[in-house]
Amino acid sequence: MIIVIGAGPAGLAAAEAASRNGSEVALFDSASRMGGQYWRHRAAVSGYRSNRADEIFAKVSSAQSITHISEANIWSAEREGGLIRVNYLQGGIESSLTAEKVIIATGAYDRTLPFPGWDTPGSMTPGAAQSLLKGQGVLAGKRIIIAGTGPFLLPVATGLAEAGADIVALIDANSPLRWSLSPLALLTNIAKFSELMYYARLIRKYRIRPQFRRAVTAYEDGVATISAINSRFHIKPGKSQTMRADVVAVGWGFVPDLSLGGILGCAQRVDSDGTVIFEVDENQMSSQPHIWIAGEATGIGGADLSLVEGEIAGLAASGQTIEKALLRKRVRKQRFADALKRTYPVRDGWREWITSDTTICRCEEVKSQEIKDSVSDLGAEDSRTSKLFTRAGMGLCQGRMCSRNVSEIVSGITQCAVTDGERIAASNRPIAAPISLGQLSDGKNSR
Amino acid sequence: MTHTITFTFNGNAIQCEEGQSIAAALINSNQRELRRTRFGDEPRSIFCGIGICFDCVVLINGVANQRSCLVEAHDGMIVESAQ
Amino acid sequence: MKNPDAIVIGAGIVGASSALSLTNAGLKVLVIDRGAVSSGTTGAGEGNILVSDKDPGPELALALHSRNLWFEMQDDVGDSFELEAKGGVVVARRDDGPLMKLASEQSQHGVMIEKCNQSRLHELEPYLHPDISSGVFYPQDAQCQPMLAAAHVIRTVVQRGGEFISQAKVTRINVENGAVTGIETTRGTFNAPIIVNATGTWAGELAELAGSHLPIAPRKGFILVTEPTKKYIFHKVYDSDYVANVASSDADLQTSTVVEGTRSGTILIGASRERVGFDGAMNYEILRTLAAQATSLFPVLRDVQLLRAYRGFRPYAPDHLPVIGQDAKVKGLWHSAGHEGAGIGLAPGSAALITDAILGRDSFMDAAAFSPARFGRVKS
Ligand SMILES: Cc1cc2nc3c(=O)[nH]c(=O)nc-3n(C[C@H](O)[C@H](O)[C@H](O)COP(=O)(O)OP(=O)(O)OC[C@H]3O[C@@H](n4cnc5c(N)ncnc54)[C@H](O)[C@@H]3O)c2cc1C
Ligand SMILES: Cc1cc2nc3c(=O)[nH]c(=O)nc-3n(C[C@H](O)[C@H](O)[C@H](O)COP(=O)(O)OP(=O)(O)OC[C@H]3O[C@@H](n4cnc5c(N)ncnc54)[C@H](O)[C@@H]3O)c2cc1C
Ligand code: FES
Repeated sequence: MIIVIGAGPAGLAAAEAASRNGSEVALFDSASRMGGQYWRHRAAVSGYRSNRADEIFAKVSSAQSITHISEANIWSAEREGGLIRVNYLQGGIESSLTAEKVIIATGAYDRTLPFPGWDTPGSMTPGAAQSLLKGQGVLAGKRIIIAGTGPFLLPVATGLAEAGADIVALIDANSPLRWSLSPLALLTNIAKFSELMYYARLIRKYRIRPQFRRAVTAYEDGVATISAINSRFHIKPGKSQTMRADVVAVGWGFVPDLSLGGILGCAQRVDSDGTVIFEVDENQMSSQPHIWIAGEATGIGGADLSLVEGEIAGLAASGQTIEKALLRKRVRKQRFADALKRTYPVRDGWREWITSDTTICRCEEVKSQEIKDSVSDLGAEDSRTSKLFTRAGMGLCQGRMCSRNVSEIVSGITQCAVTDGERIAASNRPIAAPISLGQLSDGKNSR
Repeated sequence: MTHTITFTFNGNAIQCEEGQSIAAALINSNQRELRRTRFGDEPRSIFCGIGICFDCVVLINGVANQRSCLVEAHDGMIVESAQ
Repeated sequence: MKNPDAIVIGAGIVGASSALSLTNAGLKVLVIDRGAVSSGTTGAGEGNILVSDKDPGPELALALHSRNLWFEMQDDVGDSFELEAKGGVVVARRDDGPLMKLASEQSQHGVMIEKCNQSRLHELEPYLHPDISSGVFYPQDAQCQPMLAAAHVIRTVVQRGGEFISQAKVTRINVENGAVTGIETTRGTFNAPIIVNATGTWAGELAELAGSHLPIAPRKGFILVTEPTKKYIFHKVYDSDYVANVASSDADLQTSTVVEGTRSGTILIGASRERVGFDGAMNYEILRTLAAQATSLFPVLRDVQLLRAYRGFRPYAPDHLPVIGQDAKVKGLWHSAGHEGAGIGLAPGSAALITDAILGRDSFMDAAAFSPARFGRVKS
């Protein structure tokens, strides 16, 4: 039996590949619908080459040896003899399942940066606007600004426009000219051009005017401040404008969720862009025996790369041969993912956008000045000690939103680079999803 | 044909489609503010939309800190913005 | 700093308090830590300042005095670390005989106690399980935020002319003619005739660096942290089994629940004790046990979500008493370590003892029971 955690592109591909030789697969996801963050749509999937999703849904649903365990949130995992047990909550009851092998494909969530007003209603991530629309059929607002950086802003903007929203601005902090830094990645991924053209056509159709090297640097009372920024993300003086919007959706790439792999002891490293990811070998195997990892958790690279990684992981875990061509395909997609990182970097000039009373930790309402004081008055030297003094990162989300930003703010004051050890420590959490004390204690009695 | 259901939010009846999340239903009914924060009494709404940030937490049938972006609305649910 | 009078190694609560009392006694103090302030066990502690869990004897005497010194330290440093005399409630689930006997003995040694019947107990803790009918209220039990305390105390030391150097790991303790002369660290060499080893769980390694020996070992503990809730728990509440556990030297896991609310609204549930060296692995069975014990004390917690669990390593000596005093072999090397699960509570008292000993003053109690020499002179 192989447990696949996550039914996004990577997990679906893994389950499908593993089922080809009849291996039993339990495909877990916390959501009721398959598809992960990108493909979890209510009705038919729309967007660029959406048939890919339909194809794989069909295969997974018809495979006899795949059991889809939906609405099951895995909160922890443990080794038990030679086996691995995952503990999960489903319908308010804790259960567990044990298997020889596990494939982790838990994906990622939007990375966010603080700015004045980012904690007021109407400010959200592009992923939130996207999931409201595609998952729920609800428009987040009427006048919407989409901002941040990265190609993911395009489908969000065009999707919302298509549904009738007025996209008053589509703003990328980086210039697309940066693609010229990665000619090889572009040449070997020609298909990406047609994807770009697909979105370019839609952008023209809905009269969205993209702007570059700008950022939303404040949002107050329904008015967003849009500032011109330089390549280090410092605001260029005298070049700001304001714009009314009932939604500002700002995202800065993605952060993988490492909790479960971390609990199982899978080795991690810091990627070139500061993201903590899992180390995997050629076959997507982690540092731990019988655990494979695929998708965003091994490096942010988008759905295409996730699909290939998932397929490789599924084949490897089920003991099937992996064609060289598939491995080469991953190299190509990986090259494109690296180019994405090079083209859409997040620079630390954002630390100047915040003011002393900007909220940094949304859960515990810790302001930027408190973080600064924890360093200069109390001697905090990293996000952990700052957290102990200010509570930043101790709230309900357990630092998923703020800990990286706290590290960067602290490092801006101490002038010491954030260490890999600090980044890795701040990315790991022993409880992958909240569980009530009652559920936890009932688990004891049933064992 | 989608089925319409009704739940209450802070005592007001909210109608939505079956299968919608509580947060989506509330935003669709122009109810953006989901709660106020415990220290600063600041209004909050959904932020990440996928269950990571916990900004959208509400009291559902008396149980605190439930993520309204994840929980599907059901007929007769009592939803309140605590704190 | 040129020529400090004393070097304190360790910026946990024990080192910080020692540095403050030495500074207040007129010494120029340099504090050294391999990490930041509170980066050791102090950063994992719960902040209980307890007298209720101590048997009559030297540790109770230290705890009682130390508890009062906490409030003096607050006056000295400023109200900045959430110190609160919230009181402790110890309940007996089955036979309340041993608890009542202990309470009577404690009261003869200066501990304030109030034996509680069912209705008094539930007046103190309205959400307690209705079946629990006997307990003792200890009004002196207090609580603080230990990481903030250590940071504010170090800050005060620096304001009063001391110095703190972080990220400096001590790699050598220099000894000449049987007396310390200074230390070598990853950030340079520092000399002083007095060195205080306040490295908690790592104090044995430090003693080794000076060619001496201290039998201090780690004892792992887990703590559960819940989501913020409305106020359900008003004191520190624990099961009387806890007292038996604290004094146990059984290597196997023991758990007994201590439940308390914090100012931020979260509830802390601790604490398990096991001696498994520095094995940091999460043990979900322990979490389940702690959750089961907490919910059986307070059924209302069943619906409360667990957010986080963390672990720390308490420094313990074979006889469960702290080690406070001059090294048995090396002159000028002073130890204040091995406070196990009570280092927060005992920190200012230990600081007073070590300062008095260093200065050759009389102290509030006889510290012989804590002497490093009690383990015998091993290896020479
Ligand atoms: C909100 C959002 C919207 C996005 N929209 C687009 C888009 O429109 N276009 C685009 O190109 N890219 C989009 N992306 C990026 C896209 O998500 C990724 O490129 C791709 O989905 C990665 O696939 P994956 O399989 O690695 O992870 P995901 O698709 O993220 O799948 C991971 C799955 O694991 C499940 N999971 C995680 N932890 C647990 C657990 N403990 N227990 C049970 N299940 C768990 C999650 O519920 C999820 O379904 C979006 C990302 C986000 C966060
Ligand atoms: C889960 C748990 C709960 C607890 N709850 C409580 C409680 O409620 N009440 C209570 O009183 N106690 C409690 N304790 C115990 C308490 O935390 C400890 O006894 C206390 O923190 C010890 O303080 P310390 O200053 O001696 O050690 P530490 O805080 O560990 O400080 C020692 C310092 O020495 C430094 N160091 C080590 N080696 C070197 C070196 N070579 N060079 C330089 N620096 C070095 C370390 O970096 C560290 O900062 C608890 C402990 C745990 C694990
Ligand atoms: S909006 Fe982030 S958890 Fe619901």
